[in-house]
Amino acid sequence: MIELLIEMWSFAFMQRAIVATTVLSASVAPVGTFLVLRRLSLAGEAMAHAITPGVVIGFVVAGLSVFSLLIGGVIAGGVAAVLTALLARKTILRSDASLASIYLIALAAGIFILSAAGSAVPLKSFLFGSILGIDDASMILIGAVATVTLVAFAFLLRPLIISTCDPVFFEAQTKRPLLVEQAFMLLLVLNLIAAFKTLGTLMAVGLMILPATTARYWSSTITGQLGLTFVFALSSCWVGLTLSYFFPETPSGPAIVLTAGGFFLVSVLLGPHGFGVRLRKTTPQSTSSIVQTPTEKSPQ
Amino acid sequence: MADLLKIRNLALGYPGLTLFRGLSMDVTQGTSLAVLGANGSGKSTFVKMLLNLIDPLAGKLSWPNGRPSEVGYLAQLTEFDRRFPLRVRDLVAMGAWKGFGLRGHLSAETHDKITSALEATGVLEIADRSLHTLSGGQLQRALFARVIMQDTPLILLDEPFAAVDQNTEAHLLTLIDRWRDEGRAVILVVHDLSSVLDRCDHVLLLGGGTASFGPVRDILTPERLVSQKYLSESQAAWMFPEASREAAHD
Repeated sequence: MIELLIEMWSFAFMQRAIVATTVLSASVAPVGTFLVLRRLSLAGEAMAHAITPGVVIGFVVAGLSVFSLLIGGVIAGGVAAVLTALLARKTILRSDASLASIYLIALAAGIFILSAAGSAVPLKSFLFGSILGIDDASMILIGAVATVTLVAFAFLLRPLIISTCDPVFFEAQTKRPLLVEQAFMLLLVLNLIAAFKTLGTLMAVGLMILPATTARYWSSTITGQLGLTFVFALSSCWVGLTLSYFFPETPSGPAIVLTAGGFFLVSVLLGPHGFGVRLRKTTPQSTSSIVQTPTEKSPQ
Repeated sequence: MADLLKIRNLALGYPGLTLFRGLSMDVTQGTSLAVLGANGSGKSTFVKMLLNLIDPLAGKLSWPNGRPSEVGYLAQLTEFDRRFPLRVRDLVAMGAWKGFGLRGHLSAETHDKITSALEATGVLEIADRSLHTLSGGQLQRALFARVIMQDTPLILLDEPFAAVDQNTEAHLLTLIDRWRDEGRAVILVVHDLSSVLDRCDHVLLLGGGTASFGPVRDILTPERLVSQKYLSESQAAWMFPEASREAAHD
């Protein structure tokens, strides 16, 4: 077993994949944490599908150039966001229905264009990622996106915390409350594109959401959430890539996301904010050190 | 005390819907003003206008001493995320956010102020607890502590007693008295008349397309409360039995 692991590390493509996913984990962790906290998990999933036609058109026009994928993805993400907001505000559809409609059309269009163009890239690797696809340009893209994301979060963290926890208070405190939301959505699109090569368009958001939801079961502070999300994302990538190496027919995306799913299920059962707390509550509990005013209402 | 805000011939509403018009009033330092009205009368719209989130349809607002850089604000809890992973102490620190900005560290002085605010609102003992473990009253106390941290000349409280018991309400009302004594102007949007009658200097009654402003005893008359659709006639007769008997006698 050890020999196999040493052999795995000797391959340049695995070394690239490990480095790329390590950097990617640091980048997607804060984005995923706030996607979950801002109740945008499904919107993130939809956005991952919505950027598909842009990435595909970029690929068909200019090949697997990082620049074309980036431009195509950002344009498609922007168009999807604007169309969704337009439908939700100007027509009878609510935002969830309009978002679902747009992303389904976008995903179908992306797959149709890719197939019609007779792409040399297998559909499976496009949808689910491939560790073989991580070249120098992809590494640079991931590094650049991670740098932009982490620097942006250094400045956005406090506004994001306030606007997520108490949006009405935040709106009253700042002249341009939408700026934070728009910057966050741009970071989401950039990270989806960065994750595209490793995880594929269908699985990219999985590395954001599952580690973040897993961390929710363990930590009750925002710092803990951010740190644990990174740890779970990184562990999922390393274990998932190893699985993908030992089962060569398995695309890397599902292997990584399935590993993240494993961490999630264990955390649901054992985490202090999952079923674990309920199990403990069945045993006699010691008196809390914090005295609660007896006349006050119980938590809602 | 000096005037903080002067409002002249104000009309508020949205395109195609005027909520009220013709409001002229002064907000003076060291006073408390209650904003009353039925649902949809324009109370929240009035608060949004003071926060500079919407523009009036007509009229003029002027700030004789300049517009405050920040307004102390306690919003309704409808959109507040109580599951957000934050401690009470962090929530209170939010009030000083403009002071320490995007990257700055909290000074020892700010930490001391946070502790004082927690103590004044009676939540110092639970300062390190997560928000999701708090009762409605404890959360509202923590939000009052955040208002203390904002340290502003004008304070807006939007339905501050909606989810609290009598003890908590009584404690929070003493804080409002303290703010008023410190020379701040406090504007409260409330539903319950009883918390207003002996605490506020002035009242702004909204409803029926009009706005009435003045001392509490002058504005909260049964006739006006009925005509501005805040109370039905039977409710007014029950709440103001003497006035009702006098009307019947006349």
